Amino acid sequence: MKVTINDKIIEVPQGTTVLKAARSAGFEIPTLCDHEALVPYGGCRLCLVEVQGARTLQPSCTLPVNDGMVVKTESEKISQARKFVLTLLFSERNHFCPYCQVSGGDCELQNSALAEGMGNWPLSPNWQRYPVDASHEYFIIDHNRCILCRRCVRACGELVGNFTLGFEERGAKSFLVADFGVPMGESTCVSCGTCTQVCPTGAIIDRASAYRGKAKDVEHHNTICLGCSVGCGIDVLTRNNTIDRIEGDWSAAVNGGVICKLGRFLPVNEKRERVNTPLVRRGDNLQPATWDEALDEIASHLKPLVGKNGSGVAAMASTRLPAESLFAFKDLFTRGFGSEMVTATEEGVTTGLVGALADELGKPFEDYLGSVQSADCILNIGVNLADNHQVVGFFVKRILPSGVKLVTIDPEANPLDGQAEISLHPQFGSDFELIAGLSAAVVKLGLAKKTASLPVENDLALAVEKTGLTAESIESVAVLLASAKRPAIVFGKGITAQSSNKALKALVEFAGLIGATLISTKGQANSVTAAQYHLDKPLLVNGHQAAVIMMADEKPTKRLIQKLENVPFLVVQSSYTSQLTATADVVLPAANWSEQEGHYVNLEGRVQLANQSIEPQEQVWSAEATLAALAARMGMSIEGDWESELKKRTPAVAIA
Amino acid sequence: MAKPKIASDWLCGCAGCHMSLLDIDERIVTVAELADLRSTPITDLKVPDVTGVDVGILEGGINNTANEEVALRMRKSCKILVALGDCAVFGGVPAMRNFFTLEETLRRAYIECESNDSEGKIPDDPELMKPTQVRSLQQVVPVDIFVPGCPPDADTIFYVLAELAQGRIPNLKGDKLHWD
Repeated sequence: MKVTINDKIIEVPQGTTVLKAARSAGFEIPTLCDHEALVPYGGCRLCLVEVQGARTLQPSCTLPVNDGMVVKTESEKISQARKFVLTLLFSERNHFCPYCQVSGGDCELQNSALAEGMGNWPLSPNWQRYPVDASHEYFIIDHNRCILCRRCVRACGELVGNFTLGFEERGAKSFLVADFGVPMGESTCVSCGTCTQVCPTGAIIDRASAYRGKAKDVEHHNTICLGCSVGCGIDVLTRNNTIDRIEGDWSAAVNGGVICKLGRFLPVNEKRERVNTPLVRRGDNLQPATWDEALDEIASHLKPLVGKNGSGVAAMASTRLPAESLFAFKDLFTRGFGSEMVTATEEGVTTGLVGALADELGKPFEDYLGSVQSADCILNIGVNLADNHQVVGFFVKRILPSGVKLVTIDPEANPLDGQAEISLHPQFGSDFELIAGLSAAVVKLGLAKKTASLPVENDLALAVEKTGLTAESIESVAVLLASAKRPAIVFGKGITAQSSNKALKALVEFAGLIGATLISTKGQANSVTAAQYHLDKPLLVNGHQAAVIMMADEKPTKRLIQKLENVPFLVVQSSYTSQLTATADVVLPAANWSEQEGHYVNLEGRVQLANQSIEPQEQVWSAEATLAALAARMGMSIEGDWESELKKRTPAVAIA
Repeated sequence: MAKPKIASDWLCGCAGCHMSLLDIDERIVTVAELADLRSTPITDLKVPDVTGVDVGILEGGINNTANEEVALRMRKSCKILVALGDCAVFGGVPAMRNFFTLEETLRRAYIECESNDSEGKIPDDPELMKPTQVRSLQQVVPVDIFVPGCPPDADTIFYVLAELAQGRIPNLKGDKLHWD
């Protein structure tokens, strides 16, 4: 469509808004309620433009272009309207700038007024007092600074699907509320903090970084979150080599800017104590040592153990480490030390079965995250998306209002049950029978999209018997999923952590029958890489004379600490002190997620680079540097490269 | 042409805007060459000439009847009235108290405040001015030029004074315009 904007003729596709068209032509229009990640709302009226033939000024953010439209974005009339809109906004509540945390560049309201050249507000404020809600652990809502733009409400619903924030009353009485007016800290808020990131004023402010200075004085580091296998794009804001706050990266392909509590707030609120220097056990105590002393100690204990199968060195690395480190780790310990017990902290719990099935099938069978977002019916089985891989949960929850149906299958109550069309709670350990029963029901009802490869006659009856569910409820799930156009299955530990792959195979068979895409949530940030490097077996330390555990910033489980209790010589590299470092013979300081650089493969096989945001302390080394130093000390070498090794094994999900 | 006469005064503010004025350093000599600096709170002459001045500058908002009198006197004495700083322009930091009643603020200041002795008493001598809600200057008298900032930069103040001294109306924008 041809549009004339400020005498410049441009061509844009149908459906483009006047605002987008004008910006693409290089004309800036001020906005407040509009946000790149949100559906246009047309609430603030700051983006008014003149459209030839229109009786009044029009909001450009919601107005689609027409062919031949003639638009003016700057005129005396428009400027007067903007000033009037801003004056009304300023006079509504407390917008006194000198004592606001975002004043001086971080406030979109103030910036808009200054851009209009406003030196004062012609209307005086109405001096009504609004409450400040400081009940939330991570952020504060100051209603006095709220301009009712609803960005937070829209983000909470449109992006996160949580619908905690809303508005009560109308007009000047409009008031931001959580749920039905409870304090934010007691609401259904999941602390993803997206509202703090979209708020244009000082109404929703992050506790940790508030009043610590202006955003223009921080450094930005675009990287990825290492909180789980999703690998969301984040922007780490640092000042003086400390983290100010973490924000979602709107341009990130994986998450489009949405992150969860694990990515935004927890890393900034890290309370564990750092390991700052190597420690070597002298008698009962761990004594500070130099890296040379520590490496000598390790080398002297490990040298006699090289090549001793079963009684040599066991090694384990965190799946939070970059691919480069995991590769060097694998090569050094399997080839260099000749150890047969080389694995990763997840011990293949989430990836062992899917990896083995991919080996068997000879091709990837999982799909991309996008398949969940474009699905019209989603089966959530064996994973609690409210507590783990939360962003995948947001993707599911946010599309439900558009009519997408959700089915949850979980032996226990699943937090998504409330939003599900059907929730099944089968008996523990009956997943295989239930899934086989679903396949049987699909075949029986003639809804299968391809021929079943397994005999299915008795499976439905068996499912009823084992699961304790009724045949009707199983059939209703089968009908719902099989009649969907684009069904998607999201599964997790409930299926992948079983002792046999029967349930997993049945699920793949079922997905084939109904034409559904499959994706498993995996475990930590580099789950997939560890699986590709065969670092996915259970850790067994029977007779091993030494163990080297590269925990990085991962928290050791009680189970792991118990397993390693009786190892004669224990080396732990860790960013933080823990019960595990307390029992070690040599402790090496490790870089944490923000102090290292390297590649990660997320749950959909996307290879992403995590950048360094913080310079570590002098004695804190990355796992890669540590492995290189250890190899040199042992007279060994690390050969090959992480990237080609990644492609040697058939992955469960195509790696790109 | 005779040099334009400039007078200033302060109301409910912190004197910070006048400090920022002094921050123009040696450029004050240029201002003195261009203009006839008459009464200010920081010079010997405190009250504007009865014959009037060309430019009156007021810092601070209006929070009592005494401020009102000073504002009205300045408005009558000058041709162009400048509101200098956030308090004069918007009410500023003192206006925070408008979110409470006068009674609450007086009780807080004279009775409840931790630094008061136990015999705290709200002053009520009839000779004293009466406190009011904090208002911006334009709520009491017409204002010609607004120079926001807490405080406005010395550069901004010099620009405003230099423009006025040369008979021009300053136009604040870009770096010169800020509200904090």
